[in-house]
Amino acid sequence: MSTPSDSRDPGRPLSDEELVHLHDNPPAEADDRGHYRMLPLLLLFVFSGLILFSGTYVGHYSGSFSPIVHDARAHAVTGEIEAGPVDLAVLGGTLYTANCATCHLPTGLGLPGAIPPLANSDWVSGSPERLIRVVLNGLQGPVVVNGTTFPGAAAMPAFGSTGTNLSDDRIAAILTYVRQAWGNASDPVSPEQVAAVRADVGARADAWTAAELQPFE
Amino acid sequence: MSSDSHMAAADTDTTARGPLSLLLASSLAWLVVAVSLGLVHAIQRHTPSFLETIPAFTYGRTQAMYETALIFGWAANAAYAVALWILARLGGGHWRGLGLMTGGTLFWNAGVTIGIFCIGWGEGTMLRFLQMPAYVHPLLLVSGAAISTPAILAWTGRRTSGTYVAQWYAIGALFLFPWFYSASQVMLLADPVSGVSRAIIGAWHAQNVLSLWLAPIALAAAYYLLPRLTGKPVPHYGFAGLGFWVLIVVGSWTGGRHLVGGPVPAWIPATGIAAAVLLLFHFMLVWMNLSPALRAGTTDPLRFVRAGIVAYLAGGVLDALVSLEGAAARLQFTHFQTGLQQLFVQGAFGLLVLGAIYDLVPRLTGRAWPSPRQIRGHYVLALTGTALSVAGLLIAGWIQGGALLHADASFAAIAASTRPWLYLASAGELTFLLGAMVASVHLARLLLGLCRLSAAGQSTATTVTAS
Amino acid sequence: MKSGPLFFIALLGVLTVSWASFALGPDMQLRTLAPYYDATFDSTFPQSPSGLAARGRAVYLELGCASCHTQQVRRSGFGSDHERGWGERQSWARDYIFQDPVQLGSLRHGPDVATVGDRIESEAELHEMLYSGSEGMPAYAYLYEPAPPAAQANPLAVDQVAGREIIPSRRAEALVAYLLNLKAPAAYAPEVANNAVEEGEAH
Repeated sequence: MSTPSDSRDPGRPLSDEELVHLHDNPPAEADDRGHYRMLPLLLLFVFSGLILFSGTYVGHYSGSFSPIVHDARAHAVTGEIEAGPVDLAVLGGTLYTANCATCHLPTGLGLPGAIPPLANSDWVSGSPERLIRVVLNGLQGPVVVNGTTFPGAAAMPAFGSTGTNLSDDRIAAILTYVRQAWGNASDPVSPEQVAAVRADVGARADAWTAAELQPFE
Repeated sequence: MSSDSHMAAADTDTTARGPLSLLLASSLAWLVVAVSLGLVHAIQRHTPSFLETIPAFTYGRTQAMYETALIFGWAANAAYAVALWILARLGGGHWRGLGLMTGGTLFWNAGVTIGIFCIGWGEGTMLRFLQMPAYVHPLLLVSGAAISTPAILAWTGRRTSGTYVAQWYAIGALFLFPWFYSASQVMLLADPVSGVSRAIIGAWHAQNVLSLWLAPIALAAAYYLLPRLTGKPVPHYGFAGLGFWVLIVVGSWTGGRHLVGGPVPAWIPATGIAAAVLLLFHFMLVWMNLSPALRAGTTDPLRFVRAGIVAYLAGGVLDALVSLEGAAARLQFTHFQTGLQQLFVQGAFGLLVLGAIYDLVPRLTGRAWPSPRQIRGHYVLALTGTALSVAGLLIAGWIQGGALLHADASFAAIAASTRPWLYLASAGELTFLLGAMVASVHLARLLLGLCRLSAAGQSTATTVTAS
Repeated sequence: MKSGPLFFIALLGVLTVSWASFALGPDMQLRTLAPYYDATFDSTFPQSPSGLAARGRAVYLELGCASCHTQQVRRSGFGSDHERGWGERQSWARDYIFQDPVQLGSLRHGPDVATVGDRIESEAELHEMLYSGSEGMPAYAYLYEPAPPAAQANPLAVDQVAGREIIPSRRAEALVAYLLNLKAPAAYAPEVANNAVEEGEAH
């Protein structure tokens, strides 16, 4: 079928039927010029170039297709990710607030006449062995802290296995925090020290008295 | 050939006149509503105190209402109308299922109206191109299926041997829309995904609306109008099919590019950007085939086609370039993105589909447009309005992006420096609105004239040969 | 091109590949993200906001704040987010697992608000900003009730503007509680390791 435009009035638009069949035969003049045959090659070249760019882009910036790589420049890490070391002082602060601050107060000042202070306290800066025992089993009876006597009407509860059952890590964290807060400047307490003391104490049901703790000063 | 007589018979078949006129009239009415909301939104960009005391016109809600009216009101109605026309005419001119289409049109437009009111009320979802609340969308899905029925029947019942690329684009869009629309409804609204997946799938949905629904309809209109009105075949028709498949395959992958640098897995924006660059191949093929439009400006529909194709190609190339990380760092969250979207929706889709409407209405109704000057007037207003609005937004975005890169530029200073360009964008929006009103009045005149004629019992069966 | 059923099967296949890659795939990947337990703080992060702050998210959504404000901090070097003090690190997907719906935003006509709770001094500051607006931000006066000056200050009033006390509605209170709750997120060891970039790694 000859091209519809040959035998029609050029000013008239095509009918729909003519439009459907307009491209049934490719235009003749294209074959005469050699460059029409180059077109598929050019398109292939352009397409390849674009695929190369896109593929390289995806390869570089897709973060190994991991759901947790959000920085396009990074790559996924294989193997176990180690959580960083626990910052005992920070953890201790949180645990202190949860467990100790009700009585000893967030300021560590305690209640004069009833609850011994922890700020600038000789007990806190003293030996870790005594301090750990106090936390593990509690304290009852009168105590002398910084020269002041506290009658001990309210006993300190146990936080070891007979009480709240804090782990070695947590007790170590709390004591590290307490020994470095409010003007205290003592060495941190490690979980190993707490474990050793716990093993030493064994199974003890009662709270300590000041007299029992004297050998550990 | 037998199809000749079918076509001739089709030219006198007036059953589609009413239903399709309803769809077209709805689309132009929605265009006026949408661009009016767009004007309010544009003013609020540079003058935030405009209508700030009315909760329904809170900036965020106005933007959502404008976008919904534009896409689900104007664009949807026009897309269905143009797709149906192309498929029915190229398929042999047989109209069936028009009653379903009329019902679907009424329910679709009712649903969108309700949805927009609900957005004004505060029920919007803040999902791009899915702003209406969850309960509206199933209604639209069903109504859309009803509206598509004549088009689908025209395709399945086509009497011509062989098909033309415009038909593939049109039926492709009508086929893909319900699928991705329902997937988006389920994953974003009915049983929503949690966390940033919502943003990722939202970006996928928004891109599908543009690449798998609006762009194919616009290209169907372009491929239909250009050869038909100029009488010349497209230069490299053999590659038109390739262009179609590249758009369908790659277009949907580009949504992630807007999430570059965001709290999403890095591979999503990376593949989006890579796909946007790959999509340049599609634009190259479209350029190869439709570039004759740039030299053809003899009739008004062709002028619309010429402007639409320029907008489509410019937008596509620009989009790919600014997706790359270097440009994205500057332009990501700025008016530039708004301008690019407007260049496509209002420029490319809008102008191409308006050209198709100006071409098809006389052939549908059997009456010429009352006033060619009004068509020319609309063309000038639409082109100028789009150009001003897009230019204003792109420049404002460029300035805004540059200022955002400097930590010491305050947002008050940014607002002051972008204001002149936002005034320009508002002026463009107003101009486009005037054009839309001109077109609506013109269509109303034509349709009213038609009603008066048929009321008077006169035959309107003669086909119109000049367009 | 044959236009039979194969055409539509191919179309559907293409869409399915796209859906599987960019809708289903990301959802399945991100579903595995769980809160991260940080031993130092003995807590999981992120933490789900409750009460008024949770209700404030709905107010943020219905006012459409995301049309001007983003809630995503980009990495330093990609824009000036870090220099502006919007966040110490790039936002990660795990930060958002309890945010339904996320409001990442896509335009910045105002500052990013992902960590705005760290930058705002008081509730009153936010209430005043919402009530009066500013250059570039509209006023949301309809969220407040101005009261005439009275002998005794109204206990519900949060600020005085132009000699009148302004009383926030429940929506305004919820919104401010929500915004003040948006603070810098914690660091999660897997993301820290997977997003590490060597110094001088070029683009």
